[in-house]
Amino acid sequence: MTSTLDKLHAILRRDLLTAIRHRSGFVVALVGVFTELAAFYFLSRAIGPGFRPGGVEYFPFLLVGTGIYTFFVMSAQSFLSAVQEAQQTGTLEVLMTTSTAPAELVILSSISAFAGNLVNLLVYLFAGVAVFRASIHANFFSCAAVLVLSLAIALALGIAAATLQVAFQKGSAVLWLLGSGLWFLSGTMFPIQSLPRPLELLARAVPLTYAVDGMRRALIEGQSMIAMTGTLAVLAGFGVVLLPLALAGLSLSLRRARQNGTLSFY
Amino acid sequence: MDRIVFESVLKIFRHRPALFNWLGRERGGETIALKDVSFSAARAEVLVFLGPNGSGKTTALKLISTMLLPDAGSVRVGGFDARRNAGEVRRQVGIAVAAERSFFPRLSARENLDFFAALDEVPRCERAQRINEVLQDTGLEEQADTLVMKFSSGMYQRLGIARALVKRPSVLLLDEPTRSLDAATTAHFWATIRALARQETTVLLATHNFAEAAAVADRLLLLHRGELLADRPVSGGESAEVLRSYYFRMTGEVDEAVLKR
Repeated sequence: MTSTLDKLHAILRRDLLTAIRHRSGFVVALVGVFTELAAFYFLSRAIGPGFRPGGVEYFPFLLVGTGIYTFFVMSAQSFLSAVQEAQQTGTLEVLMTTSTAPAELVILSSISAFAGNLVNLLVYLFAGVAVFRASIHANFFSCAAVLVLSLAIALALGIAAATLQVAFQKGSAVLWLLGSGLWFLSGTMFPIQSLPRPLELLARAVPLTYAVDGMRRALIEGQSMIAMTGTLAVLAGFGVVLLPLALAGLSLSLRRARQNGTLSFY
Repeated sequence: MDRIVFESVLKIFRHRPALFNWLGRERGGETIALKDVSFSAARAEVLVFLGPNGSGKTTALKLISTMLLPDAGSVRVGGFDARRNAGEVRRQVGIAVAAERSFFPRLSARENLDFFAALDEVPRCERAQRINEVLQDTGLEEQADTLVMKFSSGMYQRLGIARALVKRPSVLLLDEPTRSLDAATTAHFWATIRALARQETTVLLATHNFAEAAAVADRLLLLHRGELLADRPVSGGESAEVLRSYYFRMTGEVDEAVLKR
């Protein structure tokens, strides 16, 4: 346990130092957050107060939807980028020869990637509430439960992207799917009930739909965990199924890459 | 007991052309990197792989480090099979690969070493001291706190060696370790290799440098087109020139230096 915490500390420190030494990165990210929020704020004003998807104001609806969506995609993206960068610099091969098991390394690295994106999400939501006056009635415990369960799913998606990157050097394909398909289907910008029936059914099979919906109910409406039992159970179910599958896939692809000598191919 | 046992190892790299390859000229096929190669290495022994490019030297080192898995035969380190007990093997092995820049560019040399030492489970209380030692051994004390993105090729190479040493492995694998080093650092490095062997470390080193082989080797393994042509001891008095003529005689390659005389 001490050793695992020590490794996590080393990975967090590496990522933090790397992030702060990209001097302009923070400023650019912050400007990006405010620009995006401003765009959504004026979009909701242009549409007018009459449009209340699911009975809530449109700006908080967009704030939570896009915040969670970005958290998912950026988590998978940062995870994939870490693998791609490690392949390009040759660190992936070296990392695979350390005493740390590949699965442990992947999970610890993902915690670090998610920590950074979690901070971004909190800044995004905070700015939406504090600067753009989004109206929320947060239930802390429900928010935490949705976030933790969503993390497991985001982790699985990140690992899936990394797996495809190691196996076929095409992890970006997964992100393309995330970027366009999930954006359209997960109810980020509009309620999924607006979709034609077959697409609505498809949207209900997408884990991100439940993460977005759950966070809206917890953060905007302040619903309790008991009221959200169904959504939390679905999120947990997705996590229980997807996470072991993604880890098994990654383990298989790493083994195959070591067999074929393609670990550092990109 | 032998610390490394390589038994009838076969390693084949299969090449599949990319999708939509009709636009390019890439062809499928396979390369036999190692063919039925067997050897062993004892505690405190320094083995040097000599052989032309593509002879299988790096592949052999990568198989021992578990970066690669064999297609047939077995690789055992300290009694553990590299396929079935990869974790146990990795705990014993330190490797310095020839590829430069396998570091995190925005971390300093010390921070990189600290990161890899943590993943190699070097106890936290010992880490700073060990890092200082290997930085000194590789002549990087003055650059210890410089971001490695500012390093030269030679510094990267030294840092790679430092990374391999910091876990104090019982098996040290070195792929062309002095390729970019200056003469003084090279001489110091050869002395370090012999000192490690005296401390019971098994060292496997791949090189094209006959002087290096003569300076550090207890045994010479000559690889050619994936086959082990020779496995013989190197006596203390053998010079680089002797090893050079032996190499060209065994491989049948043309020594242009002799032709020019």
